[in-house]
Amino acid sequence: MDAIQICPMSSSTNTPTSSGGGISAATTLDNGFYSLAGEKMLPKLKNPVYYVYDGSFEGLLTAVYEAYYQSMKPDLIVSQANYQEDLLVKKIVIQTDCLKADKVYDAIIKKISYEALQKVFCVFLSELPESATMIYEYLRLGWMIGEKVDFCLSEQKVLNVHTVFKKVSSEKHRMLGFIRFRKIKGNIYYAPIEPDYNIIGLLAPHFARRFNDQYFVIHDVRRNTAVVYNRSEWIISEFTANQVIAFDKDEQNVQNLWKQFFDSITIKDKINPRLQKQFMPKRYWKYLIEK
Amino acid sequence: MELQEKLKILSDSAKYDVSCSSSGGTRKNIRGGIGNSHMSGICHSWADDGRCISLLKILLTNCCIYDCVYCVNRVTNDVPRAQFTPDEIVNLTIEFYRRNYIEGLFLSSAIIKNPDYTMELMLQVVKNLREENRFNGYIHMKAIPGADSNLIAQAGLYADRMSVNIELPSEQGLKLLAPQKKKEAIIRPMNFIHNQIGQKAEEKKLFKKSPLFVPAGQSTQLIIGATPDRDLNILRLSEGLYKKFNLKRVYYSAYVPVSSHPNLPSISNPPMLREHRLYQADWLLRYYGFSASELLNEEQPDFDTGIDPKANWAIRNLQCFPIEVNKADYSMLLRVPGIGVRSAIRIVQARRMKILSYENLKKIGVVLKRARFFITCNGKYYNELGFNENIIRQALVGDAAPKLLEQRYNWEQLSMFSTGV
Repeated sequence: MDAIQICPMSSSTNTPTSSGGGISAATTLDNGFYSLAGEKMLPKLKNPVYYVYDGSFEGLLTAVYEAYYQSMKPDLIVSQANYQEDLLVKKIVIQTDCLKADKVYDAIIKKISYEALQKVFCVFLSELPESATMIYEYLRLGWMIGEKVDFCLSEQKVLNVHTVFKKVSSEKHRMLGFIRFRKIKGNIYYAPIEPDYNIIGLLAPHFARRFNDQYFVIHDVRRNTAVVYNRSEWIISEFTANQVIAFDKDEQNVQNLWKQFFDSITIKDKINPRLQKQFMPKRYWKYLIEK
Repeated sequence: MELQEKLKILSDSAKYDVSCSSSGGTRKNIRGGIGNSHMSGICHSWADDGRCISLLKILLTNCCIYDCVYCVNRVTNDVPRAQFTPDEIVNLTIEFYRRNYIEGLFLSSAIIKNPDYTMELMLQVVKNLREENRFNGYIHMKAIPGADSNLIAQAGLYADRMSVNIELPSEQGLKLLAPQKKKEAIIRPMNFIHNQIGQKAEEKKLFKKSPLFVPAGQSTQLIIGATPDRDLNILRLSEGLYKKFNLKRVYYSAYVPVSSHPNLPSISNPPMLREHRLYQADWLLRYYGFSASELLNEEQPDFDTGIDPKANWAIRNLQCFPIEVNKADYSMLLRVPGIGVRSAIRIVQARRMKILSYENLKKIGVVLKRARFFITCNGKYYNELGFNENIIRQALVGDAAPKLLEQRYNWEQLSMFSTGV
């Protein structure tokens, strides 16, 4: 099977040939997130190699694939959007190739675990500039150790991925609660949100199951994308709300009832705004009806 | 009366019920239906008092025939009264649910006319929701003490969770503050629900289609600080309830002075810190393998508000420490102050790959501020002050959040019971 070759067991292919430690490109970037596995073995005077992918998940997986087959190994993998031209950097543009991406995808599931794939995908959705490199380092280790990689909690590369994964998945869980649909003309339920991470795709299945008889739109206002559900399937598309949205005639009434409930359920002798903000950070209040 | 006005009155009088969880449900949506439940529960908002809002928590009515002294809805209290029609509750629930305001309905009620009548009205609501509206969201329902067991048996087929509130932790307290209620009438429905859950689960094993009965289990609530009960009695009661009735949760509610009555203690503020300590101890019972007798005893019948129950236990049992993190059992790791379930699991996982150093523990995310007094890493003890009871106690009490301590002094309970009444 081809996918086997992605596995770095034959590690001779992925370490740079020239020896000698000292200062390398990777160590100048060494702030924990950026350090690469083989940093000590990088040649002294080599310019750092950046893989630049198109920003899609397939593109990222292709970059991981190429990292095993090209002779120039990446010091960093960055998306086109995050890449800044630098004369000292050897830039390699990765052409997204779905076949290669699929192989990597399968290899993650088969040789590491399905949970690892979930983690990698969530880290990708974080859209952090360093996320792609973090994923690459984590996967390299994963293919060496197998599914137990997630137990290597004293390994910085694993911790990086776990930390970001936790942030993304906990924002997802929060959003399951914080989304507020407004009923608008045409019997559609519309919810604007501004999450830190690009999580609408993670939210969609939950709401499609829960409200399977309801037309709804979850609009990521900052990223101009939306999940649109038509009572049988959902898609993610580009989306901007140009016009003022007209509410259904009952909407204001229901919102008032909700505000009333929110107000009267509070025990006035136990007011604790600090605790409230701890669970419900203020940046999410913008689209909450009750605040 | 306007719906808004009713909602105001009936959510206001439901607010002293602290139960808020929407977890444990496994109900799935059906074609053409609305809603499902989420195993771990979802909080949708947090009220200004910092409590989570996940269910539409309302009373069907606050017109009550009883005169329980501690309760805001007692018949002799002069408050506005209201009553929802079943349809109003159903519509509110559906409209809120469709907008993702809530996870489901929490339906409770004062006793109107008699327990059976009340239970029947509540049953109408949940039946309507489940059958006519094909609603599969979470429903938490009160079982009315004294209601016919047939009615409770029916309700259990629609609700995800049921609860009977014990409220007062001892029979003397009940006599003093709720003379019309009998301990027997409270325990009977709990026992009934417990038996039904067991029985229906057995049937489910044999017949796949057999209906579930309160799949998310039952819970109860105790009021803290309205009676002179000691923490030890309260904790023993909870322990008994968990063991005997398999309760999912016991909630504790710091008593908020809603009225003045010669049988009630006069307090200036709710005993929040005491409530907090009881919750900590409750978690120790359910997830950490502690028993009530380990945490409190006749000599020390109340929790020290200055130090949490687990640290208190550890200091009194220093002979068990320090333990070696690379060797200790999972159950022993759990007993180290500062190491919770998550940290213990991570330690056990990580030490399979590598012998853990003190630095490793930090990286893994174990909070060592308190744990370092009770552990060794690779045989080395990391508290420079030495292994000594007084030093450790001082360090731990000093660590308690200053805010909590401040509250402790402000909110000292002025119990009239202490003066011998």
